[in-house]
Amino acid sequence: MTSHEGPGITRRSLLAGAAGGLALALTGGRLPSPAEAAEPGADDQTADQPLITHVARPLDAETPCQVFTQYLTPNDRFFVRSHFGPPALESVAPSVWRLSVAGLVERPLSLSLNDLSTFDEITVTAVVQCSGNGRAFHSPKAPGVQWEQGAVGNANWTGVRLRDVLQRAGLKAQARHLQLQGADRPVVASVPLFTRSIPLKKALHPDTILAMRMNGAPLPLLHGGPLRLITPGWMADSCVKWLTDLTLQEEEAGGYYMQTAYRYPSRPVKPGEVIAPQDLKPVEAMVVKSVIAFPQQGAILSPGAIMVQGVAWTGEGRIVTVEVSTDDGKTWEQARLVGDEAPYAWRQWRFLWRTRGSGRRAILCRATDDRGQVQPMASPWNPGGFLWNGWDHVQVQVRET
Amino acid sequence: MRTRWGQRAGRLFLLPIILLGPTWLATGRADAQPADQQAQRLLASRCSVCHSTDLIQQQRLPRDRWEATVDKMAHWGAQLDKEEAALLTDFLATYFHPEAGPVVVLPAASPPVQADQESGTTPAPGWAAARGAALYKQNCLPCHGEAGSGGVGPKLARNPILTQADRFRTTVSQGRGAMPPWGAMLRPQEIADIHAWLNTLRD
Ligand code: HEC
Ligand code: HEC
Repeated sequence: MTSHEGPGITRRSLLAGAAGGLALALTGGRLPSPAEAAEPGADDQTADQPLITHVARPLDAETPCQVFTQYLTPNDRFFVRSHFGPPALESVAPSVWRLSVAGLVERPLSLSLNDLSTFDEITVTAVVQCSGNGRAFHSPKAPGVQWEQGAVGNANWTGVRLRDVLQRAGLKAQARHLQLQGADRPVVASVPLFTRSIPLKKALHPDTILAMRMNGAPLPLLHGGPLRLITPGWMADSCVKWLTDLTLQEEEAGGYYMQTAYRYPSRPVKPGEVIAPQDLKPVEAMVVKSVIAFPQQGAILSPGAIMVQGVAWTGEGRIVTVEVSTDDGKTWEQARLVGDEAPYAWRQWRFLWRTRGSGRRAILCRATDDRGQVQPMASPWNPGGFLWNGWDHVQVQVRET
Repeated sequence: MRTRWGQRAGRLFLLPIILLGPTWLATGRADAQPADQQAQRLLASRCSVCHSTDLIQQQRLPRDRWEATVDKMAHWGAQLDKEEAALLTDFLATYFHPEAGPVVVLPAASPPVQADQESGTTPAPGWAAARGAALYKQNCLPCHGEAGSGGVGPKLARNPILTQADRFRTTVSQGRGAMPPWGAMLRPQEIADIHAWLNTLRD
């Protein structure tokens, strides 16, 4: 971590100042420091960077696409989205950590990590994707972190069923929503907390889990350790990190992050249009989407046979086809779905492309799921820039080398 | 659809630049307006308290969205009076508008020239500290608190670094961690004035 000579340094300044250094220690890998990230005119080394930083403090960083040639996204290359950054290390130590279950329950609970490990263990392979993934491609631009393709990853999440924990507390009949609160706090107390809620139906789904491990390792601090919610098939705004408080209640959570942010119009809207609050619904399920992991953007390729690779996923269904176009979308050919198929995981795909001629070429891909959702050329505009799932594309140069 | 892909293709080759993050490049352009200078100071002193300014620079928004954003930030705790908010909104809407393209070139930030300082008259005792108090309030208070008592940044009153003038100057002018570099915005004399004022603080 950064060195601190000042005697009066507060926890907050430590957190803020050391965001880059913390990241390094906590994902178990090397992350670009704020200084590097802000370096103008540096060489294009995005391919070798573990993550591409959009915001240095608190850290918002996405995965370079070529990592998606792997089925499971390694922890130290998994995207990081922070509202305020991780809580202080001492407050998340296993000895002090408690998960409270309160509100409309028969028996309020305060569970330690040891208490949680007495419930049945379950592992779910699931895609976790930021609701704003692809925001940069919306036109006109929507405010927020300008994510491109990589605010998504696929991992094994191990923990216990949320349902089991809620049942131990005993739900009262009026309970309709589960409010979620993590231990992260803004640097200035006047900023609203990241308080979220999910409907009870999702909370009681047997695949919704309180995760303590990620790809077999203890959940890293940057990814919400020691405990985060995983809502398979749903966007990650529900996957609250550093989870400390579950409150059963009749209504959705109040506050900015549930009532204003992370909402999506329930009808098509024009850019700039004023939308009535009742026409905005919380972002929940993922939409069908595919991305290209190989070749990379800007690659120079020798003519011949090229194995185009990528992944495709959807919310609460299965991927049935992935198609590829190498003529700007005039014609499409089916890619081969390969590897494992698991309910909430992504599906890997391959397409053997025989290049013709030389020059600049665009490779496009689009996926279709079993509910008939087809990835559109461009996603509907919405004020928050959420749920982008337009066709993915990479530009390459085909030439004799 | 053709044109759409055409436009995208043009953008795509700029992607590596975008991905590296720097969408704010300062140049040596000499015609930097005082308002632009002041806006850049506000970004450093008021807007980087809760998040780094890369979050701001990557936006490309029309004026009304900038107004709403600055308003929201003020509501959440960004310390701006009405005039400062208007000046900053103007600056953001001028440089970070929807057609601005992936790389925005800003005028170089440079410390304003103070006529009274150039005049050569000997300041009265305590003059430096008085100037320093005002500069501190403008630039450092949002992070280091009233009377250097600490906040997002460490406590500065009676901080050992005050006994090392060189380290104080380089730390402030080059920045450290979450602290922005002040070298392009404050003259060495101004940093020394802030130092002089901090030295007068007791607890
Ligand atoms: C955006 C918030 C912010 C602003 C504005 C800011 N600082 Fe800082 N400052 C910090 C933080 C955070 C640190 C701790 C940096 C670290 O070590 O990571 C710091 C550290 C320092 C230190 C080093 C203290 C030590 O214990 O070593 C000095 C001196 C300092 N700041 C002076 C200033 C002065 C003078 C100004 C105004 C010109 C200023 N700061 C404005 C956030 C800020
Ligand atoms: C008191 C803390 C605080 C200060 C000071 C602050 N911001 Fe923010 N800002 C936030 C928070 C919190 C977010 C939302 C972060 C998130 O959810 O990822 C944010 C987000 C943003 C965004 C992204 C778009 C959005 O609406 O989420 C922009 C742009 C922005 N701030 C600009 C500014 C500007 C300009 C200033 C200076 C006037 C400023 N901020 C000062 C807390 C602050």
